[in-house]
Amino acid sequence: MAIVNMKKMHLLGLKNEQDKILSTIQKTGAVEVIDITQQVPEHEVQQIQIHQGLEKELSELDSKLSKLKFGIDFLKPYVMEKNPLLYGRPAVQKEQLDEMLSREDQYFTTLQAISGLEQRLSHLKGEESKINNRIELLSSWENLDIPLEQLGHTEKTEFLPIVVPIKAFEDFKNRLKDRQLSAEVMTIGGNRDETFGLLIYYRAQKSELQDIMKEFSVSVQEFSGLKGTPREIIARDKERLSGIEAERQGIKREAQALADQRFFFEVLYDYWSVVRDKKQNMLKMVGTRDTFLLTAWVPEPLEDKLKQRILDTTDAVYIEFSPPEEGEEIPVMLENPRLVQPFELITELYSLPDPKGLDPNLYMAPFYFIFFGMMVSDAGYGLVLSLLTGLALWKLKLAGQGKKLVELLFLGGISTFIWGAIFGGWFGDLIKLKPLWINPLDNPMAILVLSFAFGVIQIYAGLLLSAYKNIRAGRTADAFMDQGLWIVFLSGLIMLAFPQLGFIAKYVAFAGALGLLLTQGRAQKSIVMKFLSGLLSLYGVTGYLSDVLSYSRLLALGLATGVIAVVINTMARLVGVNAIGVIIMIIIMIGGHIFNIAINTLGAYVHSSRLQYIEFFSKFYDSGGRAFDPMKVKTTYVDFENL
Amino acid sequence: MELTYGQVLALLGAALAVLLPGIGSAKGVGIVGESAAGVVTEDPGKFGQTLILQAIPGTQGIYGLLTGFVIMQRIGILGGRLLPLNLHQGLLILAAALPIAFVGLLSAIAQGRAAAAGVGIIAKRPEELAKGITYAAMVETYAVLALLASILMLFGIKL
Repeated sequence: MAIVNMKKMHLLGLKNEQDKILSTIQKTGAVEVIDITQQVPEHEVQQIQIHQGLEKELSELDSKLSKLKFGIDFLKPYVMEKNPLLYGRPAVQKEQLDEMLSREDQYFTTLQAISGLEQRLSHLKGEESKINNRIELLSSWENLDIPLEQLGHTEKTEFLPIVVPIKAFEDFKNRLKDRQLSAEVMTIGGNRDETFGLLIYYRAQKSELQDIMKEFSVSVQEFSGLKGTPREIIARDKERLSGIEAERQGIKREAQALADQRFFFEVLYDYWSVVRDKKQNMLKMVGTRDTFLLTAWVPEPLEDKLKQRILDTTDAVYIEFSPPEEGEEIPVMLENPRLVQPFELITELYSLPDPKGLDPNLYMAPFYFIFFGMMVSDAGYGLVLSLLTGLALWKLKLAGQGKKLVELLFLGGISTFIWGAIFGGWFGDLIKLKPLWINPLDNPMAILVLSFAFGVIQIYAGLLLSAYKNIRAGRTADAFMDQGLWIVFLSGLIMLAFPQLGFIAKYVAFAGALGLLLTQGRAQKSIVMKFLSGLLSLYGVTGYLSDVLSYSRLLALGLATGVIAVVINTMARLVGVNAIGVIIMIIIMIGGHIFNIAINTLGAYVHSSRLQYIEFFSKFYDSGGRAFDPMKVKTTYVDFENL
Repeated sequence: MELTYGQVLALLGAALAVLLPGIGSAKGVGIVGESAAGVVTEDPGKFGQTLILQAIPGTQGIYGLLTGFVIMQRIGILGGRLLPLNLHQGLLILAAALPIAFVGLLSAIAQGRAAAAGVGIIAKRPEELAKGITYAAMVETYAVLALLASILMLFGIKL
């Protein structure tokens, strides 16, 4: 129930058994290999050779994997895939795998063919976009009935296709007329900004004409290499486009025929990625020609089982376990009761605990559970949330953080249901049930006080955990002075709020304050500084005050859910006056409440997390651990059985 | 029925409570949406994560609506029978609407900026989403406090 102790394993084995041993280790998923190559002198020639060999193998594996991945991705649109979330991943037996491996060459020939298909498709795509561009360009010139290759000059005249800004077109024509040039402009077409035309002029006046063209920003349209009238070209192009489409359909049919190969690619991909992981870990080991040395982290509880598994594989190994040395970066693995595990997500998303610190999950979980429900606080919503997430847990094959999140929401739903019953909220005021305790709308102050009380409890818990940490490290005096005195002081201040305790409260608070004043400056050298630091530390009380006030969000968010639910019901009832109205009313209610559940679940998740991160963790939590990342059989598409 | 200044002021309070945080949330959600769209262009798979961040500055608008609704309920406009409020009562209700109105407006925009920066986190390190959300949630605190103040004031006013 905390951070699992890690042991360091040293394994010395024979090179020719390395692969076998590593496969065994990989299947246990209990070993994180440590890179020890840096600890070996660089000039060890053998070492370098071994690694060069490995890296070559790895790069071959990578290219194999990328080919397989390409095949898998390419065939994706042609395969009706069962959703792995619903059906789980297909299982592959060792015999099936061996058979596929024996036919591997065949699969890679298929992959070659697929890559050919891909190239043809991309070639077609390129041609298509070129043609589309040409059609777009020429469609504005469709009225030009001269074959494009005949534009240009004769002995005396020149035919030029021109583009004129629409605003300048009239002026341009007038200018040509004014100058009495032997030139004529015919309008062919145009778009929103430009007019397209054909300019015919006497070649002797070229330079004069070019000046005018420049003045009106007239440009010449190039049709290099095109033959026939625009209309003919467009017709030809359109024909080619349908040809391209037909070719594409043909390629798709070919791909469709290959679709059943995708499963083999997936199996091979997963198999080779497992092999690659193994080889990558070999890079972290050192060895001679015939032996290898592996150093790794192993969780202490798994130590014996792991050793047994390895010894079952081979006798020719030497295994030794040692505790971690000072200053080593130990990976962190958490172990908590089943009920607390979903809450690990909250800590994981913040940061894992320092390997020497405390696992906060057990202490944080009850608070998170209570706060989440209090912020949503509607029994109906809790039911919906728990039913939906329960269904998801039952039907879907979830794993990892996704599973933890759904479990967390399931528990949150239960808490929401309980709080909803306490506050009498059932889809707002839709179902009128008497609250088990109090309706927050009737007496918000009572709930506010309750929120603050939860805050005080959690802050005390944080201080106690911090004190525990100090005591565990042998600093009992620090625990007394840094946490104990604060608890005394804060308790005194809280007691002031109760008139019947007023008499003692003053002395308790005063004793605490005096203690803090005298002890908090103990790290300072001079007596004046000691005193000043002690005095200044009392200012910390504002921090505790704002921490407690922060828990008012428990009331605020709970009220928000309740009132929005009432708003939805009121709006819905406004329209429920006749038959059609009732249907609309039901739609509004369903949509509105779903929206309210969604937005408030998000809010409750965010704000409960925040209360843990900012108010609770800040009191005692040392973060910054690195997750234990063992070498394991990690697959993407299929599950291997008896690999 | 004769209308009173008090009723006008109370309704003005309800209007402000809905109006200003609504503007703020619209703006905040818009800011996040803009940067989220940029990230999703690169990687459409991040839509879900960015959507969570985009929803966060939307809460102020809801808090505003909620406050407005409580006012409407208290002055009886929802039941169709407007209470005959005097000038002071009207001013009290208007004052109670102010915290969420202004804090809602400004905090939603500030939160939109923080969340938009959080979208940047998703772009580079999607596994750190929780930290981006936490930064945005820090801003929300003040909207929650303002909501609380407004609601407590409204429940406290004797009509």
